[in-house]
Amino acid sequence: MNMFLYELKAYSKSNIIWTCSLVVLVVLLLSMFPTFANEATEFIKLMEGFPESIRKAIGLSLDSITSLLGYYSYSFTYISLCGAIQAMNLGTSIISKEVREKTADFLLTKPVTRKQIMTAKISAAISSLIITNIVYIASAYTMAILVKIEAFNIKTFFMISITLFFIQMIFLALGLLVSVIFPKIKSVISVSLGTVFTFFFIGMLSTTVGDEAIRYISPFKYFEASYIIQKGRYETSFIVSGVIFIIIAITTSYLVYSKKDIDAV
Amino acid sequence: MNVIEINNLTKNYGNARGITDVSFTVEEGEIFGFIGPNGAGKSTTIRTLLSLIYPTSGSATIFGKDCIKYAPEIKKEIGYLPSEVFYYNNMKVIDLLKYSASFYKKDCTKRMIELAEIMNLDLNKKIEDLSLGNKKKVGIVQGLLHQPKLIILDEPTSGLDPLMQQKFFDLLEAENKKGATILFSSHILTEVQRLCDRVAIIKEGKIIKLEKISTLKENNYKKFKIQTTSGIDENFFNLSGVNNLNKKDNIISFLFRGNINTIMKKISDIEIANLWVEEPNLEEIFMHYYVKED
Repeated sequence: MNMFLYELKAYSKSNIIWTCSLVVLVVLLLSMFPTFANEATEFIKLMEGFPESIRKAIGLSLDSITSLLGYYSYSFTYISLCGAIQAMNLGTSIISKEVREKTADFLLTKPVTRKQIMTAKISAAISSLIITNIVYIASAYTMAILVKIEAFNIKTFFMISITLFFIQMIFLALGLLVSVIFPKIKSVISVSLGTVFTFFFIGMLSTTVGDEAIRYISPFKYFEASYIIQKGRYETSFIVSGVIFIIIAITTSYLVYSKKDIDAV
Repeated sequence: MNVIEINNLTKNYGNARGITDVSFTVEEGEIFGFIGPNGAGKSTTIRTLLSLIYPTSGSATIFGKDCIKYAPEIKKEIGYLPSEVFYYNNMKVIDLLKYSASFYKKDCTKRMIELAEIMNLDLNKKIEDLSLGNKKKVGIVQGLLHQPKLIILDEPTSGLDPLMQQKFFDLLEAENKKGATILFSSHILTEVQRLCDRVAIIKEGKIIKLEKISTLKENNYKKFKIQTTSGIDENFFNLSGVNNLNKKDNIISFLFRGNINTIMKKISDIEIANLWVEEPNLEEIFMHYYVKED
């Protein structure tokens, strides 16, 4: 418990900053909705001038963009990108910082197992993400109520919003895996930005190409908002592959970390 | 009872040297010195004992329990001070110490304050603002605050001024009197000589000597320095038991181990101007071990 609280506190500052960024982002994007909806016809005309592949790549669907949910799911592409960076950062740094800041000797000579250390750290990371998501969803919902022009499906709104947490969990797990496999990560932000953007572009590519298989590679494409809006549920196969990835990544992290040599500084 | 028992411990790091077949035991209540030059394998041995790294082969027990398998349990009674100390920079000293204490299921506050007072440590400073020596003091306090039964020190004195070193040694001796066993690794021989009962000498990953400090110092070696009236053949003293032979003008010096009569007879064969026979210090003995195989 002491380690959990320590880690939670150690990351509270960065967590607050990330949460604020997400809130500002969603407030900004949603606040533009009324203006946008009023001039929708002109916007659609303008966008029709772009090739379809580009519209697809940036996640723009002209059929639904004028509704609040359609507009929100378009905005959500960028919100999830930001959230993914936060989670990947957290995952990559929370274990590796002990080696980077040379504090591993302190922590690992305490009467705790490495598994306990991992559990405390992962729990602290997940708790941070849960807090972020609660604040984010509350702000997004309030904002949606404020800017709506006509009624929208609240359940669908939450279903889309909550995928932020799911995407974050995948990137958190990936970050953990990366941090235990690579011996020494000098710069967390470059690793996490690089990885997240790679997956983001793979996601863009998959929409353009229209290949279902590529969608499995990019967590950003696991939860298509258009599908959620239409069917009112998630695509099971992607949920399953997401969960399997998280379980495998976290289990592997535990195993690797337990067997790892902590070399002298 | 043996507090530490190391059996044929080997650790390979690919091409880099680790340790080979290291075996020794540390008995309850003793201060055991572990000496060798930098890179000889002292830290590797200690890090294996603390299960920071895993051995390639061999094993070690602490308090009779396997040091890897029962690591968390064993560590409740171990205090460890590394040669270079690093702590969470954004913390205050007091918070770091409290965090450290929170790992042990007992109240360490009183001892913590006591130790901080002895070591003259300001508890309200931030870790990042501390000098190297002050960080070391934090290390000493956090290593001792839970009153461990086994204290493992890896070149602990670097960065401490002589006064603090003295206080630290006094502290260790007091802990030892209270029953704590101490494993003291160092490349500074005088401090080992001062503090330790027995010593293991490690070189290039192998233990080359295991002895009581007193035996090392008293029984075995005499340091001879002879001034002759005329030039002397360097090979004159080339007999078994003579080491570290040095000749400079008319002065010849060496370490001798063996029957003192043999050497006295040899000396009586030549004209001498002056003669000194001294107890060598540990450093000279150690250099002898160290140079021998080169």
